[in-house]
Amino acid sequence: MFDLVIIGQILWTSLATTSYLALFAVAFALVLKVNGIFNFTQAAAMSVAFYTAYSCVQIFKLPGAVAFIAAIVMTLALCWIIEITGFASLRKRKASSLFVFIFTFIVSQFASYVITLIFGTWSYTIFPSMFWNVHMLGELAISAWDVPAMASALAAIMGLFAFLRFTRYGQFMLAVSDKPDLAQFYGIDTRKVFLLTMLIAGALVTLGMFLFGTRSLVQPRTSMELMLFAAVATIIGGIGNLAGAAIAAICLGIIQNASILFISSEWQSFLLYVFLFTTIIFFPEGLKLTRKLKVGATSTRQLPQTQLKPQAAAERTE
Amino acid sequence: MEFIYLIIIVIGIYVILASSFNFVIGYGGLLSIAHPAFFAIGAYTAGILARDLGWSGWITIPIGAMMAFCCSIVVSLPALRISGDYLIIASIGFQLGLIEVLKNLKITGGAGGLSNIPAFLVPQIGSAGYAALVTVTALLVVLLLRYVAHGPYGRAVTAMRDDEAAFAALGRSPMWLKLWVLALGSGIAGFAGGIYALYFRYVTPEQFDVMQSNIILTMVMVGGMRTTWGPVVGAVLLEILPQAITFLNLPPSVLGPLQGIIFTSLVLIFMFVRPGGLVSAGQHWHGSDYGPARRVP
Repeated sequence: MFDLVIIGQILWTSLATTSYLALFAVAFALVLKVNGIFNFTQAAAMSVAFYTAYSCVQIFKLPGAVAFIAAIVMTLALCWIIEITGFASLRKRKASSLFVFIFTFIVSQFASYVITLIFGTWSYTIFPSMFWNVHMLGELAISAWDVPAMASALAAIMGLFAFLRFTRYGQFMLAVSDKPDLAQFYGIDTRKVFLLTMLIAGALVTLGMFLFGTRSLVQPRTSMELMLFAAVATIIGGIGNLAGAAIAAICLGIIQNASILFISSEWQSFLLYVFLFTTIIFFPEGLKLTRKLKVGATSTRQLPQTQLKPQAAAERTE
Repeated sequence: MEFIYLIIIVIGIYVILASSFNFVIGYGGLLSIAHPAFFAIGAYTAGILARDLGWSGWITIPIGAMMAFCCSIVVSLPALRISGDYLIIASIGFQLGLIEVLKNLKITGGAGGLSNIPAFLVPQIGSAGYAALVTVTALLVVLLLRYVAHGPYGRAVTAMRDDEAAFAALGRSPMWLKLWVLALGSGIAGFAGGIYALYFRYVTPEQFDVMQSNIILTMVMVGGMRTTWGPVVGAVLLEILPQAITFLNLPPSVLGPLQGIIFTSLVLIFMFVRPGGLVSAGQHWHGSDYGPARRVP
């Protein structure tokens, strides 16, 4: 059971499968960092991304690349609608965090019901088969999915960090995440920044869901569980710390997958909730894994009242 | 007539659930959606004790309520210790985690559910009597919550919700008050769970999933948050409305999601069009004799 080859194989496979988990965590952490929202509508975006890609490939028999582009377009459209008609409106009305939460939660549930009505509760994958060719590297089996998935996830996350660090709008996002009022005082259009953040998160989620859907079975409720995983990783990584969220997601994914060595499979999904409460009780401010890797300053970020930032920005707007 | 009694009993149970949820989310301003989880704890506790130990519902229902009361403290204490925002994540995690536990434990009947729960009172007083009893109980719960929310304790809750920093500056502990609000609301939800389990005599984990959260949230939002009678109106309306859809004879695969779409759409519509709900808090809020009427969020 504790053979080195088996352990190595589990670790490798776990590392590969955490590529999409890292993307979900970074997307969730980004919206929380910049927009100050626990964005549960991410579950809706994830579902739309998957079912668009699935429909293109399995129903309309389109190539995978077209399916991915269609998924990106649909997800970004959804994120745009949610930001413009939902979050922007709630900010304008100076809605309480309670209302923002109810909105995000209900939107994710609404999307889940619509998808259940259209596609049923059956599990699907984007391509007809979720099994990939395997190459042997010594005694380690590496599937044809592993390396491209890890590379694309890594490229997307590195691209995001580069965008935040080296582009004008990336700097705007960091400024808004730090002090929205001051950012607006210096002429930054916070509404554009909030929208851009939602769109970037949507793109990350689409890539993550495309990777997940080519490897695992998906049903309408899957996205909610994946989003909760992202939320846990965000908390463990430390709110406002994107690199921390990604690393936490990878660590959690490896632990969850490797747990098959110690606990029965039916309790494996329960581990996520154990992580959740352990984190909230013992590491409410995250594990501080990546203090030096932090992207941008977040010195003024306080854990409580994360929803107040958009309101503050809205007050300035008016 | 049995169908009418069934509807009345279900409405009564949902009135209790929605009113207690309104107490937590409306009056307390606490972001928790795990109310169905405490409903489940009450239902399973009462059901298991009644079935396996043969205890009467007069004992098992209050024990179910106490169990939900205690569990809510255990769940919310770590989350509230840090920040109210964490309660959102903790509550969702607790609800989904509890469903996983209920699905995997033998004592709860696993995914198949808990069956063969002995009937309580119905053989003696009939469905009509049980419906009357549930209605009276629901009314008493509503009045109890109204009394609590509009009394000195309720004013403290309102003060805490409206300005936590000022409340703390007066030397009061917001955390303990929040804990008490959550525990009371959850205990009442557990009480409703006991009534539910001993009437239907069969409970499954799926009955307490996120769909239930949507239903209760819709009742509160549509009826009117932070009002005494809003959740009652919401519960009555939203229990009768789906009955109209069931007469369409749609297959369950369509009916379930369709009901979900209706509930979530109603919440979204009311959020943007009439955030105060059908019974507006602006007219019915009497939380303070010396303060102005509270604004709807």
